[in-house]
Amino acid sequence: MRSIQVLRYLPEESPQPFLQSFQVPVTDSTSVLDALNYIKESLDPTLSFRWSCRMAICGSCGVMVNGIPKLGCKDFLRNYPNDLIIEPLAHLPVERDLVVNMDSFLRHLEAVKPYLIEGKNAADSSQPNRQTPAQMARYQQFANCINCGLCYAACPQFGLNPEFTGPAAIALAHRYNLDSRDSGKAQRMAPLNSKNGVWSCTFVGFCSEVCPKGVDPAAAVNQGKVESAKSMLIQLFSGRAIGGAGQ
Amino acid sequence: MSYKPQLTGSWWLKHRFFKAYMLREATVIPLAFLLCSLLAGAFSLQDPERFQHWQAFMSNPLVILVHTLALTTSLYHAATFFVLFPRVMPIRVGNYQLPARYLVLAQWGAVWLVVALFIWLFAFGGQS
Ligand code: SF4
Ligand code: FES
Repeated sequence: MRSIQVLRYLPEESPQPFLQSFQVPVTDSTSVLDALNYIKESLDPTLSFRWSCRMAICGSCGVMVNGIPKLGCKDFLRNYPNDLIIEPLAHLPVERDLVVNMDSFLRHLEAVKPYLIEGKNAADSSQPNRQTPAQMARYQQFANCINCGLCYAACPQFGLNPEFTGPAAIALAHRYNLDSRDSGKAQRMAPLNSKNGVWSCTFVGFCSEVCPKGVDPAAAVNQGKVESAKSMLIQLFSGRAIGGAGQ
Repeated sequence: MSYKPQLTGSWWLKHRFFKAYMLREATVIPLAFLLCSLLAGAFSLQDPERFQHWQAFMSNPLVILVHTLALTTSLYHAATFFVLFPRVMPIRVGNYQLPARYLVLAQWGAVWLVVALFIWLFAFGGQS
């Protein structure tokens, strides 16, 4: 048995969040999520938290472990021999205990149109849309995102300005912009060029440190700056207004 | 009913990763001082007396200290920048992705080339 602390928030009982200690059984393979499940099943059924796959693929179990964003199912108690404090993901409004409101994150994801957009690069839709392994390799790393939001909890720029499009959404925009079957780049550049787009990033780089899937969103955002600079120059010389400034 | 903790001005003290980031950004301070010194030097060229003042200023141990700091912190900034560069501009030749470490090495190579050029100019007056 060992003790862990969880930041509770029960709005009907107290307007302030408070830390609560629990004694949980541990083995070498006890994950943070296992510990939370033990608390809910055996100690306090009112504890609220999200999870589903418990194998780092659904992206729903993100929490702060000793202040660092982690997937509860991919982080183990054995990594924390001393204190262990579990808090809700940073930079998002907390609804209850470890449950955060992901609406702003989802809004940013939607804004970059993260799907293949038909146009000159898309084959006739009655035909299979083929791609070579080399074409796929260009974007595959950025396609591994599971939308867990850990990178948003790691990003001080998002913490200071929730309107910042943010790491995962920009990485996803970049993933589709690099896809040989897509023709939607011009549409996606508008939100990326805007003041809450790629230029809000100062390359702190912590998003890429905490990403559980090796997406390297910081690289995508900064490759996005190169693309944004190119697209703004092209617009300047072709005499059109700069699209999307202020959305 | 939800709550949202606000980020305070001391957010960057919470993790060593953020401290390293702030250090990287702060390297601009001694560098700005060096640039101002050089600019003052350029203006002092108009008048011999002012130029002597500037030379005295430049040999002040405190000024030398800040300028040495500017050199070391700029090298630190360069080191962080060179590692980030291959991630921002990955170079692809056909289907082959150039490994990041070659790009990092190439950038340091360019630094040494410039340093060698200056040593040659100052130490040998441009003559071999
Ligand atoms: S980029 Fe990484 S950290 Fe961010 S949402 Fe996707 S998987 Fe999570
Ligand atoms: S429970 Fe699905 S990612 Fe952790």
